[in-house]
Amino acid sequence: MTADAFLFWFLAIVTLVSGLSVILMSNPIYSALCLAMTMVGISALFVTLNAYFIAGVQLIVYAGAVMVLFVMVIMLFDLKKDLQAFTRGRFTGAVKIASVGLLAGLVVGAIAMSVGLLNEKTTDNPVLVGTGMESTKALGNILFSKYILGFEALGILLLVIAVGAVALARSKGGTHEH
Amino acid sequence: MPLGGVIFIVIFIALFGAFLVWVASKTGGKPVYHPIKYEPYECGLPSLDKKDTKVSVKYYLTAILFILFDIEIIFMYPWAISFREFITSGQGAFVFVSMMVFIGIFIFGLFWEVKSKALEWD
Amino acid sequence: MGMGKDIFEITVNGLKLVVIFLMMVQAVPILVWLERRGSAFIQNRLGPNRVGPLGLMQLLADAVKFLTKENFVPDTAKPLLYYAAPVFALIPGAVAFSAIPMSTPIQVSAFEMFGSTWGPYTFLVQGYDIGVGIVFILGVSSLAAYTLLMAGWGSGNKYSLMGALRASAQTISYELALGLSIVGVIMLYGTFNLTEMTVAQQGPLAFTLFGYTVSASWLPNWGIFYQPLGALLFFTTAFAESNRLPFDLAEGESELVAGFHTEYGGFKFNMFFIGEYGHMMIASGLMALFFFGGYGIPYVSVQEVQQWAASIGYGSGLVALLHFLSFFVKFAVFLWIFIWVRWTLPRFRYDQLMDFGWKTLLPWALANTILTAFVIYIASL
Repeated sequence: MTADAFLFWFLAIVTLVSGLSVILMSNPIYSALCLAMTMVGISALFVTLNAYFIAGVQLIVYAGAVMVLFVMVIMLFDLKKDLQAFTRGRFTGAVKIASVGLLAGLVVGAIAMSVGLLNEKTTDNPVLVGTGMESTKALGNILFSKYILGFEALGILLLVIAVGAVALARSKGGTHEH
Repeated sequence: MPLGGVIFIVIFIALFGAFLVWVASKTGGKPVYHPIKYEPYECGLPSLDKKDTKVSVKYYLTAILFILFDIEIIFMYPWAISFREFITSGQGAFVFVSMMVFIGIFIFGLFWEVKSKALEWD
Repeated sequence: MGMGKDIFEITVNGLKLVVIFLMMVQAVPILVWLERRGSAFIQNRLGPNRVGPLGLMQLLADAVKFLTKENFVPDTAKPLLYYAAPVFALIPGAVAFSAIPMSTPIQVSAFEMFGSTWGPYTFLVQGYDIGVGIVFILGVSSLAAYTLLMAGWGSGNKYSLMGALRASAQTISYELALGLSIVGVIMLYGTFNLTEMTVAQQGPLAFTLFGYTVSASWLPNWGIFYQPLGALLFFTTAFAESNRLPFDLAEGESELVAGFHTEYGGFKFNMFFIGEYGHMMIASGLMALFFFGGYGIPYVSVQEVQQWAASIGYGSGLVALLHFLSFFVKFAVFLWIFIWVRWTLPRFRYDQLMDFGWKTLLPWALANTILTAFVIYIASL
């Protein structure tokens, strides 16, 4: 086994184990921290694919921003009551069956979609090897030529989300009775 | 990119830190239990054990606005790194204007947040 | 893996990482001593001066005191997170600092050992050379928010939790202005790589504007002359990122006891301290690198130093040493400014802090980005 293969398997196992722990942990805080660990693992896996900038973005946006929000929100609320309402309620059985069905569908779908990809020749794709600057520049080039409309639309989308978040935070009422 | 080095130093620091904590727990004094001593420290007053502490929703709002603006800033990086190359290849004006439109949306969003008092802490 | 092509190179590179980390750890007591003496000097006091010459043995006394403290976990704490937080506090700082180039590479020519020929090698005076250096450092240091949250929640103390929430909201707010103030720097050098940035800042100040070449041979070609506003914004946000005064709202002792590390004592508290100083070191190193020429010696190019070293019979070792000293002087100046500011400015109020981050620094960083892009575009016409 070469060093690269060892590194890949190490990272893959770390990512999968922390991903599994997300659903196996009983405490939501530990789940969220494990999810953050999964994000870091995915970022390292991007590095093994020579996608350096994407790896950095994964680290900054997902591990450093989105998961911080999750952890903060979970810490803000004492979730014990809400958890029991979810696991001991009247519709618990239905919820459990539905989530198992959803998971099975996802797994089957993922396998079905990736079977075709495994046989595909990868040499047709542009392989970007180097210090990471080339792939970032290629990303910039494609972003400002082919996908310029999507890029500007993204700006609008983020603006809409910001407006929605502010509106939600301002609305009266909430989960905690006064 | 030397990913192996990064992973090596992360594991090394984790082990080193755990070792330090272990050593400090061995060299330190023997813990003597007393229920009052082991309460959360609140400057000596009896601790008020209110489970449902209310925290301002502003923290949540700050975090979500941070994510949105962070994504917009991340999108400026590929633009910034190849801006000079765009200029030499003659696309400078187009790329400059399209980025200014993006930054314009950004500024509008920021201006709106300030106007709607979403960023006011009281 | 990028660590080297044979066992010798991999070992040396691994040892280098360990040495950088240990240097960071052992620099902390010295900085603490400097901070205490400096604060005493600023406030017209004496500071630690009893234990040993100049009070230097105070460092050892502190270490012994930390080690003999009782191992204490409050009843309400979550032991796993409570112990993991101080260990995790060490990681982002050291991992990010290892990516900063501190000197020119050292060449080792081929030599005989254990009956076989090894080398030649080129060793960088940095932990690892990362192609997308800036993005890596930003990403790794954004993970520092977890330390605060883990410590704050794991302690089971409401003041710790509030301190952690405040601190993490502050860190993420200032991360925006931090990330944006670097966009101008990236545009200026056209690279993410920290070594390439250092190389781009060598030589005297010279640039092309409207087809004219402007040059000032009495100034070095440093980033500060191109990005003065960016440098100011970066340094200000770096203060907030490292949670130091005037931005140390996380540990506002008049309101929150001691913030997220209220329940920590002894060595675990010391490890949070090491983490905080680690952030200070990254900020100082990056400040020197982005805006003050990195390891470059002003008025002298790397080639001239190499020629001079060769003329007196030394190789790349002396060159690396001289450049390391140059880096170290700049680095130390910024560390001192960190300490100086801490004992000069009073603390912000929380709403002022958030207003300053979102309504002052962020718009100015945007203005800096637009201005830089505009000038680069206009100058190329």
